Amino acid sequence: MSDAKAVADRLVKSKRLNALLTPSKELRSALTAQAAAARPTGVLYGMPVAVKDNICTLEFTTTCGSRILEGYRSPYEATAVTKLKAAGALIAGKTNCDEFAMGSSTEHSAYGRVVHPLDKTRVPGGSSGGSAALVGAGALPAALGSETGGSVRQPASFCGVVGIKPTYGRVSRYGLVAFGSSLDQIGVLGRSVHDAARVLSVISGRDPRDATCEDRDPLRLPTVPESLQGFVIGLPREYFPTELDPAVRRACDRAVRLLRDLGAAVREVSLPHTAYAVPTYYVIAPAEASSNLARYDGVRYGPRFDGHADLRGLYRATRGQGFGAEVRRRILVGTYVLSAGFYDAYYRRAQQMRALIAQDFRNVFDRGVDLLFTPTTPSPAFKAGEKLSDPIAMYMSDIFTVTANLAGVPAISLPIGRVKGLPIGGQLIGQAFLEDEMLEAAYALERVVPATDES
Amino acid sequence: MSVSRDDVLRIAQLAELDVEEDALPDVAEQMSRILDYVAQLSAMPAPTNGTVKTFVPGPDAIHFRPDEVAPWPLAFGPAAFAPAFKEGFFVVPKLGQFE
Repeated sequence: MSDAKAVADRLVKSKRLNALLTPSKELRSALTAQAAAARPTGVLYGMPVAVKDNICTLEFTTTCGSRILEGYRSPYEATAVTKLKAAGALIAGKTNCDEFAMGSSTEHSAYGRVVHPLDKTRVPGGSSGGSAALVGAGALPAALGSETGGSVRQPASFCGVVGIKPTYGRVSRYGLVAFGSSLDQIGVLGRSVHDAARVLSVISGRDPRDATCEDRDPLRLPTVPESLQGFVIGLPREYFPTELDPAVRRACDRAVRLLRDLGAAVREVSLPHTAYAVPTYYVIAPAEASSNLARYDGVRYGPRFDGHADLRGLYRATRGQGFGAEVRRRILVGTYVLSAGFYDAYYRRAQQMRALIAQDFRNVFDRGVDLLFTPTTPSPAFKAGEKLSDPIAMYMSDIFTVTANLAGVPAISLPIGRVKGLPIGGQLIGQAFLEDEMLEAAYALERVVPATDES
Repeated sequence: MSVSRDDVLRIAQLAELDVEEDALPDVAEQMSRILDYVAQLSAMPAPTNGTVKTFVPGPDAIHFRPDEVAPWPLAFGPAAFAPAFKEGFFVVPKLGQFE
């Protein structure tokens, strides 16, 4: 059992990262109270787990990194949080994130950008950048994040930690603030595969409060395998384009050699609709966001912005001033693609493409492939400000992660090397509800990969 | 540019979102770039027989839960988190004119 004071001290020491939104004094008293009440028989007894600020907690405010929910205290908590507490974990504050989880750099938070733990000039990735930065800095063994298009795996890759996106329906989303409901999942960031996996195991399983959560038992953790004999691992050629960063390619090549050495059969495969994944995502996600974020109108939650003569003026002023630039942009794009005259050209097309992308995965898995191995991101962590004025360049950093969200399948990112001190992540994508197989391979690879060496 | 200043104003009205006058050119330019980018989806040949089924992840069927009275699920009521709440109602300004 870690001492509540020591946990708080470590987190407070990481203040320079701007990764935690909970004030130090509040954090200390909450941790002390939780430690006194934690169940000593719980499987996560005493383990501090920070929670992304778009997941509702009773102890702390839930702002989603937005001014429109500044000071908002939820009257209920997420099922994932309830399960963590029941297992004896300590909820170690709320982590900074891109506003409403929209972003890939954690620069789009109303509460300031998060700093990369190894290089202050760079971004930690996003949108779960606060969670990734704290785990990467060694302040915590694990933290919750959320994924709509790669928001756990991409920052995990940038910060040199493990990030898991479970199968859609594996973890209850009750209490996760909705962004793109057909894509959203709560995920876990951990300093090792085991730390992330044991938190995932605790938060997984059925929940009568979420109709999209599958009626299944919690995930059972596999043991660390001696070898990967019998595993067939596919390398989708579309994920290794000629323009891939050479250091990322070298790290992937080495990881593939290690997978072969472990006994896995590795073969090239094709997911032919991959090139359409990012445009598909950037139609579907904003469309769903424009609908989900309609609820923030200055009437029921959060602050109300003045300067309105009537009800619609109140809506417009509150939403116009309460949302940041990226969220406003996505609401507008989402409203546009759903509007009369454009629905067929954009939204229906994107839905059809999504079906083809999901079919690509089924085709590969039906032909005897157990898992796919890919880079997590096309490059290591980029400089702060580098992609802020170019939304398309920012969106392209999700190119290898959005497909798993579109297809609803599980995926994990783990460190596989470094370049000039910056971590590089490798991704294993599994079949729906076969997280145990995916974790077995991740355990085995983690044990042999020199993750902190230059590759 | 695929999105004009007037398009932005029309969409902003649908989205109930104020866009400041001096931000309009930037918003129009960025929306155009995003929409031009995602327009590559139209390069996909349209399904000739219209049989590409949409894909929705998650359970095949929604399971109904028993219709039982459950305890009040909130730790506190809306008076604690609403900007204005009085005698069981959210207080709003007058409705105004809906065009």
